[in-house]
Amino acid sequence: MMQKLSRLAVSAEGFVFNPASGDSFQVSATGLRVLNALREGQAEDQIAHSLAETYQVELEDARRDVAEFCAALKSFGLTS
Amino acid sequence: MKMPYEKPIVTKLQTGWMNKYGRTFAYARKVRTEIDGVGIDDLVGQFGSPLFVYSERTLRRLYRQMHSAFSTRYPNVVFGWSYKTNYLGAICALMHQLGSWAEVVSAMEYQKARALGVPGEKIVFNGPHKPRAALERAVAEGATINVDHLDEIYDLEKVSLQLGRPIHIGLRLNLDAGIYPQWSRFGFNLESGQALEAAKRIKNGGKLRVHGLHCHLGTYLMETAPYQRQVEKLVGFATDLERTFGFALEYLDLGGGFPSKSRLKGVYLPPEVALPSMDEYAETIAQALSKTLPPGEFPRLILEAGRALVDEAGYLIATVGAAKRLADGTRAYVVDAGVNLLFTSYWYKFNIELDREVGGMNEHSVVYGPLCMNIDALDEGVALPPLARGTRLILSPVGAYNQTQSMQFIEYRPAAVLVGERGQVDVIREAEDLSDITRRERVPTRFASPPQTGP
Amino acid sequence: MRPLKIGLSGINAVDNPGPGIGVARSLKEDPDLQVQVVGLAYDAMEPGLFMDWVVDKSFIMPYPSGGGDAFLERLLYIQQHYGLDCVIPNLDAELPHYIKWARTLADRSIQTFLPSMEQFRLRGKDRLVEIADRIELALPETRAVTNLEGLVQAIDDLELPVMVKGSYYKAHRCHTLPEALTRYHELVAEWGYPVIVQEVVSGDELNVVGLGDGAGHHLGLVGIKKLSVTAQGKIWTGVTVRNEAVLEAADRFVRAYQWRGPFEFECMVQGDRVNLIEVNPRFPAWSYFATGVGVNLPARLVRHLFGMPLPALPEYEAGKLFIRYTYELVTDMASFQKAITRGEVP
Repeated sequence: MMQKLSRLAVSAEGFVFNPASGDSFQVSATGLRVLNALREGQAEDQIAHSLAETYQVELEDARRDVAEFCAALKSFGLTS
Repeated sequence: MKMPYEKPIVTKLQTGWMNKYGRTFAYARKVRTEIDGVGIDDLVGQFGSPLFVYSERTLRRLYRQMHSAFSTRYPNVVFGWSYKTNYLGAICALMHQLGSWAEVVSAMEYQKARALGVPGEKIVFNGPHKPRAALERAVAEGATINVDHLDEIYDLEKVSLQLGRPIHIGLRLNLDAGIYPQWSRFGFNLESGQALEAAKRIKNGGKLRVHGLHCHLGTYLMETAPYQRQVEKLVGFATDLERTFGFALEYLDLGGGFPSKSRLKGVYLPPEVALPSMDEYAETIAQALSKTLPPGEFPRLILEAGRALVDEAGYLIATVGAAKRLADGTRAYVVDAGVNLLFTSYWYKFNIELDREVGGMNEHSVVYGPLCMNIDALDEGVALPPLARGTRLILSPVGAYNQTQSMQFIEYRPAAVLVGERGQVDVIREAEDLSDITRRERVPTRFASPPQTGP
Repeated sequence: MRPLKIGLSGINAVDNPGPGIGVARSLKEDPDLQVQVVGLAYDAMEPGLFMDWVVDKSFIMPYPSGGGDAFLERLLYIQQHYGLDCVIPNLDAELPHYIKWARTLADRSIQTFLPSMEQFRLRGKDRLVEIADRIELALPETRAVTNLEGLVQAIDDLELPVMVKGSYYKAHRCHTLPEALTRYHELVAEWGYPVIVQEVVSGDELNVVGLGDGAGHHLGLVGIKKLSVTAQGKIWTGVTVRNEAVLEAADRFVRAYQWRGPFEFECMVQGDRVNLIEVNPRFPAWSYFATGVGVNLPARLVRHLFGMPLPALPEYEAGKLFIRYTYELVTDMASFQKAITRGEVP
């Protein structure tokens, strides 16, 4: 997972460019946080915990959202 | 203090879609927390979801506006409330209280109007299927009957013979007013001479008198000019009738077709830009009447108002039950109301409002209904922020043709409530339960024992 | 004097170009007019966003068809944060919205110079007969159809080949029935009913770009002929012409309807017979052609709108050529990224 993610160009404003494919993406503010955490190698569960600690969201919902975000990354070919 | 949360989202940028606002930004991001002062939460908490909600204030306002648009320009105007648009008893009763007659197109609607206390002489009976018994009743009760075809003329002549007195009828015509498609399946065609032929036939029969003309051009007419041509042709025909057969015109029924601010699919412009105002329609019709009618003559002008009076007064509250991602990455939601309740979503694109502020980026989304059928989509392309389960969508305008065409297929039909002018909420149709589905069914006794468990 | 900040849309200078860049260049080329061009874009890949020598500042706009509030709010935001004295909308789809909001915008000191809604509605191809009658032009025989039966009947009546057109946009010359059927379905899917079936008239297609002052006078007319067009039917090379019959017809059009704002007038000329093909209530994509021969209509619009001195109307020469060409721009992702994340460039 890490290898592909680490190649992405990610701006502080949530603009993501995949130099391997030429595709561009946009992530929301929390999406950027999750993406950066993934790039640092954090586990999904760890990221969900950190979301729940920072934001007004239940851990269970955060887990589901992170899992869905990861699935979306995969469907866009950003992770294998 | 924790920060407000929004779902993490990643979207792929695609040429033609690279607009941070999304294509339907304004609709998608409209928040509606209440209807006429009553909270969406309160409504759903009390009456469940989905829920049809009607605004009495809007109904009264639309009636007032339309009525004054016409009555200030022509002295003899009658509205015939088009039952098929929405025949909930409470809505009909309000329309009658405001002064509308009933415009019905079937025996069932006729019975419903009578059951609501509308006297026969304030009912306009239209439609291509009027069973003999219904005709007999309508004649006996003095309803205005607009005849659709020759067989109905034969039937009415027999009724006249039975009663031993002549019957006054209206002729329904279809004509070319320059609109597409021309509705030619109802009534007698004017240009081909069919209508004149029918009048001759009626005159020769000696039992019926033509005292009115009816013509309904179509639905959702976005221009005023066809009404002008309609009036010119109808009044011209009335003059012929009087001259040739001595039938004097007492009323002109111009039908309906006035649009509401609903967004027709396949029409490029949004309604607030594309549609003339009701005053413009009224002005066109009144001017055409004053130009064509003999001076000092004001036959009753009947307008079959339906959509224009009720559509914008109706809302449907639905609830997001699930969010999913389709194989191609498209975001999709499953809500608890679909084409079973909003039949007109095949033709109209509804406003979708949310019951709360939702942060985050808009995504191109599809909104599916609850039916286990592929066709059940309320909106196949709307930009929505990430919605959590339980978010309420408020769809509007849905007051016209949805309640009456809603069906029971695999789901119950929900409650309908009316929000009164002082914020009181009345249930005007209870939510259905299993008894509504099974009440008319009969299971032969030989099938009556339930399946046994075990061998 | 501070420069006028003029918003304009259609800065999509692509293979089917919007008029915006031509209008922007025209404004910049009037030596006495101090203008800053504000590009109003609907997609982060519209080339104008990257052409900083023509467009000074660009904003991504919400689609007006989504409903008025967001769109108006965006214009007011631009006015507040950058300045916006005037908007010249150049895209068909947004015109009715601007026309409807013209007064609201004027109340907020954002000027427009547009036809009325009634004038705008005349552009419907089913209304052309009205214009043609009034200004005494011929009109190719035309049928509006709403079903396949009607289409087949119309083709029977008019005989192949026929033009099959959307009621507002797009036109295709069809030589066979299957071709007409295919176009019919495409047009219905995109633009709805009715579909217009029209007799093909031969002759020279001559077009006029003009500007009406709203009081029955024109502020400039330039006639051209398209010498070659792209596969999409867009002009690639052209030549100026002075055909008095066509220019007079355009003048009669302005006078008869007291036309206000820019317009494009399309005719098919066959000897003495001038057939009216189309009227577009905006600048055409080739508007810079007129500027290039001395008739700077966008600048004249702005001068007229702001009560500035209007130079005498110059005569233009027939026989000037218009050559469109391709050109490439290489840049880094910064502007694109800003357009995506902030919705404005730079």
